[in-house]
Amino acid sequence: MLGEQIHECHVAVIGSGGAGIRAAIEASSHGETLLISKTIAGKGGCTIMAEGGYNAVMCEADCTDDHYQDTMRGGAYLNDPELVRVLVSEAPLRMNDLISWGAVFDVTPECTIAQRPFGGQKFPRTCYAGDRTGHEMMMTLMDRYHACGAETLHEVDVIDLIPSKEGITGLVGLDRKGDLVIVHADAVILATGGGTRIYDISTNSMSGTGDGYAIGYRAGATLIDMEQIQFHPTGAVYPRDARGRLITEAVRGEGGVLKNTKGERFMSRYDPERMELSTRDVVARAVATEIQEGRGTEHGGVYLDVTHLKPEEIERRLPIMLEQYLQFGVDIRKEPMEVAPTAHHIMGGLKITPDGATTIRRLYACGEVTGGVHGANRLGGNALADTQVFGKRAGEAAALCSRISCPDIDPMIHDIRELLGTYREGTINPAAVITELRLAMWEGAGIFRDEGSLTRCRETIERLMKMTPKAVSNQNLAECCTVRNMCTTAHLIVTSALLRKESRGSHLRTDCTEIYNPEKSLFGHTGISPAGARIERRNS
Amino acid sequence: MIPIHTRVFRWNPATEDEGRMVAYEVSVHEGARVLDVLQSIHDDIDPSLSFRSSCKAGQCGSCAVLVDGEPKLACMTEASDGMEIKPLNLPVIQDLTVDLIPGINQIPRISADTGTGLPAHEEIQAIKPLRDCIECFSCISVCPACDVTAFTGPAAMRGFMRIALDPRDSTNRIGKAIEDGLFTCTSCGKCFEVCPKNIRIPGKAIEKLREIANKAGLTLPRHQEVEKLVQTTGRSVPREKLTFLEQVGEVIEPEGEVRGEVGFFVGCMFNGRLPDTALDMLYVMRKNGIRVIIPPEQVCCGSPLIRTGQTSYINTLRETNKNCFSKRGITTVMTMCAGCGATLKNDYPDKPFVVKDVTEVLTGYGIIPTQKLPVIATYHDPCHLLRGQGISEEPRSLLIPAVQEFIEMPSICCGSGGGVRSGVPEEAAALGENRREAIRKTGADIVVTVCPFCEYHIQEHTDRPVKNLLTVLREGYEAMESSGRESTDDK
Repeated sequence: MLGEQIHECHVAVIGSGGAGIRAAIEASSHGETLLISKTIAGKGGCTIMAEGGYNAVMCEADCTDDHYQDTMRGGAYLNDPELVRVLVSEAPLRMNDLISWGAVFDVTPECTIAQRPFGGQKFPRTCYAGDRTGHEMMMTLMDRYHACGAETLHEVDVIDLIPSKEGITGLVGLDRKGDLVIVHADAVILATGGGTRIYDISTNSMSGTGDGYAIGYRAGATLIDMEQIQFHPTGAVYPRDARGRLITEAVRGEGGVLKNTKGERFMSRYDPERMELSTRDVVARAVATEIQEGRGTEHGGVYLDVTHLKPEEIERRLPIMLEQYLQFGVDIRKEPMEVAPTAHHIMGGLKITPDGATTIRRLYACGEVTGGVHGANRLGGNALADTQVFGKRAGEAAALCSRISCPDIDPMIHDIRELLGTYREGTINPAAVITELRLAMWEGAGIFRDEGSLTRCRETIERLMKMTPKAVSNQNLAECCTVRNMCTTAHLIVTSALLRKESRGSHLRTDCTEIYNPEKSLFGHTGISPAGARIERRNS
Repeated sequence: MIPIHTRVFRWNPATEDEGRMVAYEVSVHEGARVLDVLQSIHDDIDPSLSFRSSCKAGQCGSCAVLVDGEPKLACMTEASDGMEIKPLNLPVIQDLTVDLIPGINQIPRISADTGTGLPAHEEIQAIKPLRDCIECFSCISVCPACDVTAFTGPAAMRGFMRIALDPRDSTNRIGKAIEDGLFTCTSCGKCFEVCPKNIRIPGKAIEKLREIANKAGLTLPRHQEVEKLVQTTGRSVPREKLTFLEQVGEVIEPEGEVRGEVGFFVGCMFNGRLPDTALDMLYVMRKNGIRVIIPPEQVCCGSPLIRTGQTSYINTLRETNKNCFSKRGITTVMTMCAGCGATLKNDYPDKPFVVKDVTEVLTGYGIIPTQKLPVIATYHDPCHLLRGQGISEEPRSLLIPAVQEFIEMPSICCGSGGGVRSGVPEEAAALGENRREAIRKTGADIVVTVCPFCEYHIQEHTDRPVKNLLTVLREGYEAMESSGRESTDDK
C-alpha cells in the first residue's frame, strides 16, 4: 500500500508558472500558503518560455481605452468586458511590481520601459526583455517567491480537488514515489496553465496537458469558450521533432515578413492594413491557407524572413531565436525561417469573476486555465499580463476565505486508490493513448473544423477515455492521471466546438457559412460543466 | 527514420545498490534531439525511465544530462549514434533525474529596496549577460571546487554579481559570497565551457566579485601579500635564487639558419621558481632555428592580481609589458606559462603584437623530431591553456612523437589556479589528490604539462615525475645526441 503525506494550509496554489507564483506571493502575505507544482517550481509551465512580451499602457501617448478596444476587437468581442477592463487597468501596476522586485526589462536610453509593436494593437505596447521576457519574469517572481514564506511541494501531480458542502477544501495529489499527498486548505487556486499539448503540434511545455480544466470540471466548475484554441501562426516546422516550437511574434514585431514559395508577401491578400501584424487567428489561417493551396515549402511551412534587418539588431533583439535556430543549423541573419501554425493557447477555461472566483466556492483560478479574458483570440503580450493581474487578484481573494475544518475524505481516498489500482492493471501504454489523441485533435479540432470532423474526433476521444492506461512504475501513475486529464480536456474542447455553430475568432467552422459581424453575433459564451453544455444566445 | 544506439544510466536507489549502463536502440527522425531519444525509450521500450524535461526550448533548465561525459541540455542537443547518457554529477533521485533543489535554494535572491524605480539603460546592459542563467546546474556538475569544498557554485556566484550590479538592491552581500565560496574558484573556466547560455562566469562574475571584496578590504591575506610583492618587486614570486632573466642575454640566437623570431614573456614562475625549465625551452628554440628576444624589463603579467580581484595596479603592469615588446618591434610574443598566455591574450586589450603559446610557436614552425624517450607519458591539460586559450592539440602533437607511449587522462583542474593554492590550500590539496588518483589510473611513468603552476602543484601530489613538455623535448634531443655519439664511438 502506498504511503500518504498530509499538509494543512490556508491557501493551496496549484501551478508554478507566472500566475501561480504571483498568486502564491499575494496569498502568502495573508496566511500560510502551499504551492503544489508538477514540475520543479518555477521550471514548468509556459511563462518561462514566453518570448515576446507583456502588454501594458506605460506612457501618456497610450491609454487603457485603446488597450481595451484592441483586446476586445482582437478577441472578436467574445471577451468578458469586465475582465478586460481589469486587465488593461492593472497590467501597468503589475508591471511596476515586477520592476520594483528587480525585473530586468529592456529600457530606452531615456530610462523608460522599452515597448515593441505586436499584432492587433494600435500602439507599440509590448514591454519586453529581449526575447526571453517570460524567463525574466519567472526569475524575478522566483526571487520574490523565495522571500515570501510560502511552502513548496515540487513534482507533485494533483489528481483531484476535495469537495465539501462548503466548497473546495483541499486537494489530493501524487508524488514521484507514488505516495498520495493530501492537502487541506481553506481555499484552492488553480493556476495550472494551458493544455495545447493535447494537439500533435504545440508550443506548450511538457506540462501543458490541460490538467486544470479537467480537475476543475470534475470538481463541478463551469468552463466557458473551450472551443477557442489559438493556433500561433509561426511555429518551427523542421527538424521534425522540433515541430511546433514557438517562433515569437516579436520576430514580426521587429519587422519580420511572411512569404510563400512564390516570394509573395501573402498577408496583403488577407489583411492588407495590418499585414504580418494582424491578429494571430487571421495570420494563422493565412499561413495554413497558403500551405494548403500548394504555396508552402517542402517541409510544410512558409518563410518568415528577417534577413533584411541588420545582423546586430537581430542579435540584440532576438537573441534566443538566433541561438535556437543556430543550434538547428539555420542562421536567421542570412536565411529565412520556415514556419507553420502550432497550437498555442486555450482562450477558454474556468469561468471567473474579476477576483478569480470560479463557480465553485473556495475554488479560485487565474492565468491560462481561466476563460473570458481573451475572448475568441488572444493578443500577443496579453497572456503574461493576464498571469500577473489575475494571479494577484486570485491570491488576494482566496486568502480572504474563512477558515474551515477538514471534511471526511476517506471515501474519496478510497476511490482514488481504486483508480490508481486500475492503472496498475491497465492494458494500454499511456504514450499510445497520447499519440492517438494528439493526432485526432489536430485532424478534427484544428484551425479548420466542421461538424463531421469534430464528431469523428469526439468518437475517438470517447473511445480513448474507455481505455485504461498502464502504470509500470509508481512514477507512471501520475502519467496515467495526466492521460485522463488530457482526454477530458480534449472532450471539453470538442463538445464546445460542436456547440458553437459560427466562425468566431480562432474558431473557424467551415460548415457555418453565415458571416456575422462578431460584435453583433447572436452567440455568447459556450459553457460546459458536469451539469451539461450550452451556448448563450444574445438578445441584440 | 534513423536508428540510434545509446547507453543510458539506470538506477533506482530505492531498490538497487548501484546504477548501471543499459543499451537501447530506437528509431528517431532526422535531427532528433537527445530528449527525443529519451522520450522514445520511455514511450516505446521502458516507461519507467526517469528523466526531466519541460519547455523543450532551452529555457527552463530541467533537462541537463551528461552526453558522452559533458553536460548538455537534452532538448537542444542533437542525438548521435553511440552516445552515452548519464545524470549530472549531482545526487541521483532516479536514473537521469537528479536533485536540483539544494542548488536552487542556494541562488542568492534579490530584495529590491522600495521606490527605487527603473535602472538606467547602461545598468540594464551590464546586468543582462548574467541574467540568462536557466539554473540547469551544468556548471555545478563540472565545477572542481564544488566537488571538494562547500562552494555553492558558479550559478550562485553569477547571482551575487547580478545583484551587485543592480542599483535596486543596496544590501552588501560580499561577505555572504565569500562565505559561499567566492575564493574557492580556481578560475578553470569549465563552467563557462559547459554553460548552455555562454555566461562567462569566471571573468564576468567571480573576478568582479573578488574586485568588490578587494575594495571592501576582504581580499585574502595571502593574496594581499602577493599584491604587495608585485607592487614592490614587479614579480609575484619572491627572489630565492638566480632568476631566468638574470641568467640570459637579451637575444638568444639559434643554431644555424634563423627560421623565425619571437619575443619571450617569461612570467614570474619560470623566472623565479622554475628557471631551468625556461632554459630547456631556449635549448629547444636554438635547435629549431627560432631566435628568442627577451626584454629584461618585463614584469608580472598581472594574472595573480586579476584572478583575485586586485586590479588597481594592473594598468602599470600592462603598460610596462606592452612597451617592452613594442619598442623592440616584436610582433609575436611567446609565453610558456598558460596563465600568462591567457592573461596576455584575454586581458590585454589593444596590444600591438600577437601572443602565442610556446606550443603554438613550435607546431607553427615545425620541429626536428626528437628521439623517443622510453617512457609512458600522460598529459595534464592546464586549464588556462585548454580553456583560457583553446589549445589542446598542439601540446599533444609535440608530446606524442617524443615518448614511447601516450595515455590520455580526463582533463580536470589540478587546483593550483585562481589563487586557490595560496588562498585555500586544503582545497588545492584535495584537487591535487584527485589528480594523483587520475594519474595512477593511467599507469603512466611521467606526467607532462606545460604550465608551471600545474607542474609545481601536481608534483606535490604524485610520485611520478611531472615534467614540462619543453623539458621532455630537450631530453629527447639530448638522448638523440648521446646515442648519435655512441653510434659514432661504436664505429
